Amino acid sequence: MAKKSPGEHKAAPMVEEVSDFEILELAVRELAIEKGLFTADDHRHFTEFAHSIGPLPAARLVAKAWLDPKFKKLALEDGVTASKEVGIDWLNPTGFGTPSDYTDLRVLEDTPTVKHVVVCTLCSCYPRPILGHSPEWYRTPNYRRRIVRWPRQVLSEFGLQLPENVEIRVEDSNQKCRFMVMPMRPDGTEDWSEEELAAIVTRDCLIGVALPRPDRKQNAQRPVHKAIHPVQHDH
Amino acid sequence: MGGTHKESDAGDSNNTSGEYASIALLEQIRRRGRVWRDLSAQYGVENPDPPWKVCLEGTCEALAVQACALPVLERRWAEDELSETLYQGVPFPERQLLALAHTMIERGLFGEDELARRIEKVGERLNSV
Repeated sequence: MAKKSPGEHKAAPMVEEVSDFEILELAVRELAIEKGLFTADDHRHFTEFAHSIGPLPAARLVAKAWLDPKFKKLALEDGVTASKEVGIDWLNPTGFGTPSDYTDLRVLEDTPTVKHVVVCTLCSCYPRPILGHSPEWYRTPNYRRRIVRWPRQVLSEFGLQLPENVEIRVEDSNQKCRFMVMPMRPDGTEDWSEEELAAIVTRDCLIGVALPRPDRKQNAQRPVHKAIHPVQHDH
Repeated sequence: MGGTHKESDAGDSNNTSGEYASIALLEQIRRRGRVWRDLSAQYGVENPDPPWKVCLEGTCEALAVQACALPVLERRWAEDELSETLYQGVPFPERQLLALAHTMIERGLFGEDELARRIEKVGERLNSV
């Protein structure tokens, strides 16, 4: 390996061509602004918000709750107030007026006999201010339909095999309420700091399709299954 | 993308039959366009999402506020249906973008020809050296 001289910086690789999709995105956006469907300023606000969010605040909330019984009680009773302690103003997450109905956030506590998992059967509602962008599979009709009907089967496809005595509760996100899961603290994490604990509370743990493990800090790659029956929104 | 919705949105959908006609311009992009999955692999880029994805998120959000040109539920349902029909096999987020453009044309927010002209102009700009 060639030795780097002091101060030498190698730029990260970049895609060196403009794709048709990149052009299409900009063309759609420009036309929308030109026609007054929204302003360039609106778009900038939303894009900055989208840039700023991720699952870390939710992971911190869980880690903090694992370490502090008082905070845990607050989180379970009032997710909106608890989220402020990890830097998220749930009622005004964008800071410039929210497009949506972020009226409530509920934290669902797993126990040895109850496992929670979150879905939005209607579209893809997700606690974005505190959990970031939803993964692709969360948006698919396949997940949204099947998790409410056959939760045990779907969780097993995520590699999560639960004993028969564990009840699975599927919470369906809606116009008024978003959910996140507080999984149980795994064994082997005694004496861990909040930061260390937050690192193992992955996005998938917070949705409820995985359990935190001391040796895992990343979400597993998931294949996206296509629904067998094409979706028909005829209601 | 996390959607939010209002009850009244449910009745706004123009096309809930699942029968979407293909749009030549978008069909051409679907066939010809190089998706991020391939580009990032070719150039050794590790970012799982194309740089324009966050702008697309912004557009979807902005369309659903104030004038509410395109309600969230209508957009998401159209995306579901188009993803399993015309744009089946196109990876995410490219199919989200195609579905959005398709829905906007179908809803009359702009025309196919108009979009084609804008694509040409934007392409010239982005490819100029």
